[in-house]
Amino acid sequence: MDSSALNSPELQRFLNQEKEKAMVSEMIGKLTSACWDKCITGTPGSKFSSSESTCLANCAQRYMDMSLIIMKRLQQ
Amino acid sequence: MDPFSSSSSAGSSSKFSPDDLMDQLKTQLAQAYAEEFLETVRGKCFDKCITKPGSSLSGSEGSCISRCVERYIEATGIVSRALFNQPR
Repeated sequence: MDSSALNSPELQRFLNQEKEKAMVSEMIGKLTSACWDKCITGTPGSKFSSSESTCLANCAQRYMDMSLIIMKRLQQ
Repeated sequence: MDPFSSSSSAGSSSKFSPDDLMDQLKTQLAQAYAEEFLETVRGKCFDKCITKPGSSLSGSEGSCISRCVERYIEATGIVSRALFNQPR
């Protein structure tokens, strides 16, 4: 490949998009892992109980709330 | 020029187009993500389902593993949706 093609704005845009997608995937992966540990305490059943699925959703949102608090704190 | 063709066209000596590079990158990223997901699921389900390793996998261990994989995929969906549906 012609090396000047590596500087193409199209490729840069693509790389930035893929980087962002990868960061989102990683966040979801880590959060799912942590929230699974917190919320799914027994043996996995053939479906989630409503308390388990509520716990998972709450867990993700509380994590985001916490993240905001931490950022504000660090900006002070 | 067909972006998926690797044959060179007149005036170009390149073997790959940026489109080929982008496709390769997407494929590799998808593979890396899939492997990481697989490794996580293995870990979680081993912890939940194989509590006392026997000389072979029992039927109940096998069903537990199936359910565990399904639940973990479901959990991933719940967490994803919760992240992008912030009510507050």
